Amino acid sequence: MLNGLVEYVIRPGVGNLAAYLAAHVLLCLLPAFVIAGAMTALIPKSSITRFLGRSTPGRVSYPAAALAGSVLAVCSCTIVPLFAGIYRKGAGIGPAVTFLFFAPAANILALVYTGSVIGADLAFARFALSLAFGIGIGLIMATIFHADDAAHDRRTDSAFGAHGGERLNRGALAFMMAWVALLLAGTLKLGWLTGSHAQLSFAAGWAEPLQAGLDRLVPHDAARGEEGVTIQGVALIVLLCAIGACAWLGLERIHEGFNRWTRVTGALVAATLLVAALDLRTTPGGLSMGITGKFLAVLAALGLLRQLGRRYLSEDEVRDWLWESWRFVKQIFPLLVVGVFIVGVVRGLVRPEWVQAVAGHNTIGGNLAGVVFGVFMYFPTLVEVPIARMFLDLGMHRGPLLAYLMSDPELSLQSILMITAIMGRAKTWAYVGWVAVFSAAAGLTYGAWIDGANPVTLAAGVALFLAILAGALRMISRSHAPAAT
Amino acid sequence: MVTVKILGSGCANCKRLEEMARKAAQDAGIAAEFVKVTDTEGILAYDILSTPGLVINEKVVSAGRIPVPATIAGWLKDAAAAA
Repeated sequence: MLNGLVEYVIRPGVGNLAAYLAAHVLLCLLPAFVIAGAMTALIPKSSITRFLGRSTPGRVSYPAAALAGSVLAVCSCTIVPLFAGIYRKGAGIGPAVTFLFFAPAANILALVYTGSVIGADLAFARFALSLAFGIGIGLIMATIFHADDAAHDRRTDSAFGAHGGERLNRGALAFMMAWVALLLAGTLKLGWLTGSHAQLSFAAGWAEPLQAGLDRLVPHDAARGEEGVTIQGVALIVLLCAIGACAWLGLERIHEGFNRWTRVTGALVAATLLVAALDLRTTPGGLSMGITGKFLAVLAALGLLRQLGRRYLSEDEVRDWLWESWRFVKQIFPLLVVGVFIVGVVRGLVRPEWVQAVAGHNTIGGNLAGVVFGVFMYFPTLVEVPIARMFLDLGMHRGPLLAYLMSDPELSLQSILMITAIMGRAKTWAYVGWVAVFSAAAGLTYGAWIDGANPVTLAAGVALFLAILAGALRMISRSHAPAAT
Repeated sequence: MVTVKILGSGCANCKRLEEMARKAAQDAGIAAEFVKVTDTEGILAYDILSTPGLVINEKVVSAGRIPVPATIAGWLKDAAAAA
């Protein structure tokens, strides 16, 4: 009984967790949390919402709503009030829905994590198709519920579309850009960045047996997409735990002032990013450490960040930034850890044949299966990504995979209840239906591209699909027009 | 008597802000009544774009962030002096 538990539950779960922490999280998620925190703390909401006023034309308000979704909304604390605000006081139901659809797919955490766990192509497809279809669903909802929207309550426009709202401070923008540069340097797979420019070797007799021990502890099979744990990975996991402990002491009470632990946390984060950028390998009888282009780029970015932070950010801004970043970590990371553990366990139980039979090919049925799974299962923020990775390893086609990734974060029981409270049942179910249709369409399109269809034909197909929809909706709206104007 | 409203649906930031505002009022010796506004309608009645919002005597003093205790105490004293 106990042996079985260890063999089938603990070992695969812990193995998956260790592999994810060491391989994926550090150089991508750590800066992503920090950037998300900076966006929340340093970008004044009104710098974007002033484009979402009641009288703003659609060609401005829809892109602005999408922009708001990708830079302002990382957690539901921000999504709910902004969504309700755009809907009630601002640009109306169309841009509000675009915002709601785009936010979970295009915020920095989701994009970065999808890109590093599954692949940059899928992250890009998720971004581009969510943008096209998010605006599409917004336009459809605005057309269907045109009459309601025209009558929605006439409150003051002050917070939305007010003139002369706060602007984004340039120094803060440079600071965020430097973090983005660090993130790109750490994750892009360019030869200059991944190659080593200098090589250091150490004699370390313990390295080889330690690596062999790790391989025994976390056995991995590259063919099944499993990843092992290296000595560098162990070092990073230790650093990560240290950051967690110091952050608890240094950031949890940051409103009462910075303390020693705040600085230690900062130093540890920098050290972790640098260690993760090294190319550490076990050699016979020792370790070799490659100074990669990545390492140099991360070092340069950290130096620049220090200067920018000192020069342009006020103490309040630094405090808000650190607090928001830490809050995201506290809110999302534990659930992600549990999720990754469970995915590791489940991966061993699901037979690849099942997944391949249902969604192994880019068919309508396969894409719909991806959508249905996405709608009925609820996973915490970001956990959809390791789950998608598991399906991919088990043989799911990338088309249905995208359909799943598009529908899962957008639709869950929780979000359906939330938006029902704000816009009523009829509109919510219309929204749910459109998300399902569009997610399946996105999966089919992307899957066809993967299968080698001509991109020009596909783009033309998507454009035609949207044009037919727009035409049909225009006809519907025309028949409603007398009532609305 | 100062009325302090905390706007927010109950997320972590809202709880932290309430805790800090209560402590600030207590430390400054200001008699304050605390109201938690958690429903969407109530929150939308004020011009805020993100929670948590802090409203003192019906005036929005901060939204979307947690101010430091000294600043909160300053607002409370101003409100108490104006009343």
